[in-house]
Amino acid sequence: MEHFLLEKNRLNEFLSALRNYEVFAPVRKVGLTVFELITNPKEAMLDLKNQPQSPKRVIFPQSEILLVFDKNNAAKEPKGRVGQKPQVVFGVRPCDARGFHMLDPVFEREYPDPYYLQKRQSTLLVGFHCSEPYPNCFCTSVGGNPSSPEGLDILLTDLGEQYFLEVITSKGEQVAKEGAAVLSSPTSQQQTEKEKLSGMAPQKIRRTIDTEGIASKIEKHFDHSLWRELSGKCISCGICTYTCPTCHCFDIQDERVRGRANRLRIWDSCMFPEYTLHASGHNPRPTRTERLKNRMYHKFKQNIDLYGVPGCVGCGRCITLCPENVDLVANLKVIKNL
Amino acid sequence: MDKEKLVNEAKAVFSREDVACLIGYGKDSIGFRVSPIFIRTRDEADQLFFSPLCSLSLVNYLTLEKGVLLEGNKETGGEKIAIVARGCDSRALIQLFAERGIPREQVVILGVPCRGTIDLKKIEGKFPDARNCTEVTEAEGMYYIRFDNESHEVPKEELLADHCKHCAFPNPLVYDVLLEDLVDSKGAAYSDIEEMEKMALEERHEYWKDKFARCLRCYACRNACPLCYCDDCILERVSPQWVNRSVNLSENLMFHLARSYHLAGRCAGCGECERVCPVNLPLMLLNRKLEKDIKNIFEYTAGSNLDDKPLFASFNPKDPNDFIF
Repeated sequence: MEHFLLEKNRLNEFLSALRNYEVFAPVRKVGLTVFELITNPKEAMLDLKNQPQSPKRVIFPQSEILLVFDKNNAAKEPKGRVGQKPQVVFGVRPCDARGFHMLDPVFEREYPDPYYLQKRQSTLLVGFHCSEPYPNCFCTSVGGNPSSPEGLDILLTDLGEQYFLEVITSKGEQVAKEGAAVLSSPTSQQQTEKEKLSGMAPQKIRRTIDTEGIASKIEKHFDHSLWRELSGKCISCGICTYTCPTCHCFDIQDERVRGRANRLRIWDSCMFPEYTLHASGHNPRPTRTERLKNRMYHKFKQNIDLYGVPGCVGCGRCITLCPENVDLVANLKVIKNL
Repeated sequence: MDKEKLVNEAKAVFSREDVACLIGYGKDSIGFRVSPIFIRTRDEADQLFFSPLCSLSLVNYLTLEKGVLLEGNKETGGEKIAIVARGCDSRALIQLFAERGIPREQVVILGVPCRGTIDLKKIEGKFPDARNCTEVTEAEGMYYIRFDNESHEVPKEELLADHCKHCAFPNPLVYDVLLEDLVDSKGAAYSDIEEMEKMALEERHEYWKDKFARCLRCYACRNACPLCYCDDCILERVSPQWVNRSVNLSENLMFHLARSYHLAGRCAGCGECERVCPVNLPLMLLNRKLEKDIKNIFEYTAGSNLDDKPLFASFNPKDPNDFIF
């Protein structure tokens, strides 16, 4: 696919040219960088170092109304569903783009999910080569790479004064066309510079784990007493699951709101006791031990069995944001060495 | 703190009392991180340490999963849990004892006079690339920080956790062993709350609206809280469902109002809710507003006196009744 050059000071013009799209970009709100719909390109904050939440929620929102109904009227779809207009998510890290790749088979295989798929198909991902990984990043250990175009439609690489813009997919080509007025052709020197940066990227990842054989270890030592040790400090909150770019469990609930009712899909977390609570009162995962084990089992055994890859992109958020320092990489090493 | 003293006292506790488990602080392998550690034998006590980085409270582990900490019983026959507790932690413990959340006899308290702790978000923000922190000490308003091959001096105010700035109880109020000399304490100060009270209602609404809209409803604030230990939590109930699971401003607001009101007259001021929040909600403003009002109305401060009954389990004819029509 084609390569272009985008002058940094013309980035806002490029974003403004995408008038046929709803543009989501990282914005700074209450001291946090979060992905939101922007109306002015100036709102975009390309703070790739500080994204405590992945852009997962743009396509798979935390709460999503599926149906609206009341006593007298048949259920109908809510008005103005997001995702009916093509959308661009701008400023995606390569690991988070791979995250969408991990979500895709879940929502499209056995039971195709129109709510996810409609938005996924109409969404274009514009990512940035990750030049400053977090201290807890380990993407290279789970098949990723800080300069990987996988899952992205367009990849930008920071060359200092310009961005090197690579079109990855035909969807990306369309966007490049719309912004063509501000794009130019890169020189062969810039091409070399870009390739050099890509080559250097993996060395910046400081944490590593050889995941080979972990799936069978998890299976073999499913009842090992060490799980209890590993879960000792976990407080069973939902931070790891809610900030994870690949966690996708949800609950469906009906909620009454002023005389009518909404049927919603809401993120759920396998870290909560309620998650597996049966109507009978029985809970097959009654303690933190079973819950922590389940999360690791799902990501590093079950996901491999189902889809051939671990359900983890190595973004390191669950480690960095865990209030009690439950460390996925360290825990995997413990299991691996059993 | 002198590590040797801490370790020796911890070992002595194991020898003297029938302790099954000791909850303390251990240094984590990455950066400035400190982890809760669970010591089950005398020898393991060597892992213990204490420094201004120990910003987390360990008290919630006493009630998080009842019985787990006593599993060591089988080997040692111990029936008590020992815990390293700072001033705020001791308040939480006193409140727990008063509410009969855990019996006093079951807990052996290693009290640490506390000079305030470092906000991890602040120090990680300042030194994002630190890999292995070897030492943090404090002297005369400065922190001396060593990591990797660097050493830095940072003014204490810059890194101190916000809730520690207002702390009126740095010394443990209940303990079995005191690990250091007591430190000077100052009276309760509520300058931050007074600022908030000056805001007009609309202004205050705007302030909180932005904050609560960010909430992920991850329940970390509740789970980290040493006083949130109900078996059946109103925020989690399914039938009736008091707070809807939808994550939006309205439900998030209800969630946080319910959470803070259920801590009225109970919050020990340890700041755990604020520390663990992944979206930086200033939850201690709510807790401290209630603490201030309760102090004014009932002359009561939660966890400040071993002999106090819980606020809502006591009655005083002098209690104001002007809310009754």
